[in-house]
Amino acid sequence: MTATPEKIAGVVRPQLERLLAEGGSFGDARFYAEDANQRLMLYDGNLESNTRTDEQGIGVRVLWHGAWGFAATADLDAIPACFDRALANARAAAQLPGFPKDMGPARPSKGEYVAPVEKDPFDVPLADKLAFLKGLDEQLKGEGIAQRVVSARFQRRRIHYWNTEGTEVSRRVMNTFATMMVMAPDKDGRTQRRSVELNSDGAGTRGWEWLADENCFAGHAERIKQDLAAILAAEPLPPGRRDLIILPGQGFLQVHETIGHALELDRILGYELSFAGGSHVRPEMIGKLRYGSDKLNCRAGVTANSPGTFGYDDEGTPQRDYYLIKEGILVNVLSSRTDLGEANARAGREVVKESGTAARACAFYRTPIDRMTNINIDAGPDGTLDDIVRATEDGIIVDTPVSWSIGSNREHFHFGTEIAWEVKDGKRGRVFKNTTYQGHTLEFWNSLDKVGDESTWKLQSVPNCGKGEPNQIMELGHGIPVMRFKNVQTGEKE
Amino acid sequence: MLEPRIRELLTRARDDARKRGVSAEFNLHREKSSLIRLGNSSVALATHEELTRLDISVQDGRKVGSFSLTADVTADQLKNALGHAEENCRAALPKDYEPIFGTVEEPVDDSAGFDPELESLSPEAKTGLCAAVIKAVKPKGAYDFSGSWSTGSTEMYYITTANDNEAFRKLTDGRLVLVLKEQQKKWELSVERTQKAAGAFTAGDIIAEFESLLPVYEGAEGFRTAVGRQRVLFGAQAVAELLGLAVWGGFIGRLYEEKRSYTAGMKPGDKLFADAVTITDDPENRDVFGMPFDFSGKRRRRFTLVENGVLRGLLYDTMAAAKYGRKPTGHDLGNDDFVLAPGRGEPGLDAGCKLAGDALYIPHLHYIHLPDPTKGLFTGSSRFNALRLQGGRFTAPLFSTRVTDTSPSVFGNVVALSSKNVPVNTSSTYARRSPTAVSVPEWLLCDNVRITDVADSF
Ligand SMILES: [Zn+2]
Repeated sequence: MTATPEKIAGVVRPQLERLLAEGGSFGDARFYAEDANQRLMLYDGNLESNTRTDEQGIGVRVLWHGAWGFAATADLDAIPACFDRALANARAAAQLPGFPKDMGPARPSKGEYVAPVEKDPFDVPLADKLAFLKGLDEQLKGEGIAQRVVSARFQRRRIHYWNTEGTEVSRRVMNTFATMMVMAPDKDGRTQRRSVELNSDGAGTRGWEWLADENCFAGHAERIKQDLAAILAAEPLPPGRRDLIILPGQGFLQVHETIGHALELDRILGYELSFAGGSHVRPEMIGKLRYGSDKLNCRAGVTANSPGTFGYDDEGTPQRDYYLIKEGILVNVLSSRTDLGEANARAGREVVKESGTAARACAFYRTPIDRMTNINIDAGPDGTLDDIVRATEDGIIVDTPVSWSIGSNREHFHFGTEIAWEVKDGKRGRVFKNTTYQGHTLEFWNSLDKVGDESTWKLQSVPNCGKGEPNQIMELGHGIPVMRFKNVQTGEKE
Repeated sequence: MLEPRIRELLTRARDDARKRGVSAEFNLHREKSSLIRLGNSSVALATHEELTRLDISVQDGRKVGSFSLTADVTADQLKNALGHAEENCRAALPKDYEPIFGTVEEPVDDSAGFDPELESLSPEAKTGLCAAVIKAVKPKGAYDFSGSWSTGSTEMYYITTANDNEAFRKLTDGRLVLVLKEQQKKWELSVERTQKAAGAFTAGDIIAEFESLLPVYEGAEGFRTAVGRQRVLFGAQAVAELLGLAVWGGFIGRLYEEKRSYTAGMKPGDKLFADAVTITDDPENRDVFGMPFDFSGKRRRRFTLVENGVLRGLLYDTMAAAKYGRKPTGHDLGNDDFVLAPGRGEPGLDAGCKLAGDALYIPHLHYIHLPDPTKGLFTGSSRFNALRLQGGRFTAPLFSTRVTDTSPSVFGNVVALSSKNVPVNTSSTYARRSPTAVSVPEWLLCDNVRITDVADSF
């Protein structure tokens, strides 16, 4: 059939009513009228990825006697059969019952979200996009540079959502991601690299205009070449304990791995144990646990221009902005409607009051799970990066992940970064290579002693967060200021 | 063979493209996937997806463009998709090398790995087996089971305008992971099974494995080992991880040519690992899922990477082969069939433990990353089922222990390998269903493994 949302709605609405009539307690359907991704990648100037992927289909979820069933199909003539399958799956799941899932009080909503875009990247001719990327690749050429990578990805989605409570919302999501990287071997034969991702201050719009904004991307080409030259000439970071100043280009991953994932309610409740892992946080710790120093204020934010902003989550709940950690105390977690009752029962008191609007699915053929949205750290009182450097006796500044490895309950971590700058007696000095640092999550966040002001705050996109079974890749954002941590184990001891 | 309706659509599209002088590759992927997901000793979710994906790639001299579609394939959609791929190719920038166009070397029609019973294994049957395990395994204190059991079928069909050959493959696969977690001490035990057909394992097998692990977890507190170099007995899942790292860091042709692999500067015939180490990519090995062709149409056969510790061959996909003037080796794939050959150690975990004496037993490595591929440097931490070995016996569970070492060092310091190999499922479901397994010795004993951090929790 020709798949207009109106036609699909005409098929879906009576099916949702049928679910309730057959004993289901809740049901919903997500129709992806469009899910388009374009991936372009130049590797050493050669166009190695020049592809577009289009997906269209519907995913149906049914809650039956406290258990979920899900089914998906791209065959839009088979929607009633897809509802049958989802219901049958829910019935099978309900054979081995646990804590019964429920959606809590009904909160019907109606509305539309349209991501802020000036120029739709899919309307820009491919030849123009490639000319732009080729221009950047030319800028990255230089003496001593062995490999160059320039890539961009554009995503456009039109999603329609209906549920048995009467919620009907639609979304037009648009995302733009881009990376530039230069690589070269150092005198020890180890490949060093320096890169930059398309970033912003969280304002602005998400279309082609963002990528074209010099400040957000293209303007950094020269800088990463200069940084790489400095890394190639640098000595390895000597191991030792010292203060660690983390720029947003690294801080986003620190937050992502040791706060974001640890605060996903499905992980906390043990639903991700066999794949992604659990969490060191238990439900009863919500409202009590000192996660970090009182300088730490972390929120699930609604940032205007971020892939973690989507209007309504995949349960149709309007996205909201709330604290996860307030002055160092854990006050909330990332949740959807379905696990709130279980979290409160396990804690023995009400620790989560309403959905954290974090139910997100990566495609029509995946079911929503608890995901990060924009996990942001509030800017702090400690001034600019220069102010923080001036206040540091012995430390390093680090930027941009090379490697990351985190304990399965997010209780400890090991990160490698592209670059480090030495800080001695309040002055930024020489560059180090082969930088790594490691720590234990709570001890580390409790050593946070300086948080930079608004001038240091940057929005970093994450295009590839992995989680879930079946596996799902998700897009999200992190708004992060410059942060300083005291007395961190850095470098590798033999 | 592929369903006649779709096969006819695709071969007709190929013939039409050829008539118009268009060089096109068609790659069809169909899956039926089902999964149950357990949490808190219950089935919290059951899923089912039926998906068809079509990738079309068009090449015109040095220009390449492609288009992919996830939808029910019809004649109109196929025509549109080919049109988009052609448009993308027209606008493409030419490469500075001559790309190799896909050609199906010889016809393949392989459904030997397909089991209709596994394809349609019901969520009730899966739930029943898991319920039997949960009912039988009763540790002390508060605990719960979680996990997942994914089963399904995959069809892969590849043709190009280069000739009339067709490559087709249909198979089934499954993977069960059950995790038992103690709520207070937070230790986690895991039992994992991989399958090609229904009935590959029973609840009884799984119960027995859990019960063999439980006493040491219930009888001793967690052990915090020391940072430094130690003797480690790796279990099969960890060996599979180590094998993957060794291959990725050392044997990818493109990285080798760019001097970004730890084998850079070496050549075939050079000694790389301990004598006991032989690594092949072997689609005919019975443990693996065995992909008979790759997505450039090359027929895949046994390929040796390392023989008795000596470097023999590197993996070249068509891109690296074209760029660096090498021959493609049949590795335009995400799912290879790697085999670490069995050694001379007595089979059975008990024998490995006895040989190890005082050591750490690490059967899984979690969240591995490569801080420096040019040295083969990796880092990852222990997770499920990790134990302290004293005098060849398990005496305590290990707290989360970080291993940061290099592939050349680990495979250079091999003391012994079990003479019995087992399959380890390495499939991911991030994109399309793509059954992958490796065959590895059930244990590998290694000296001087670098432990760099220890947590005070599991
Ligand atoms: Zn993530």
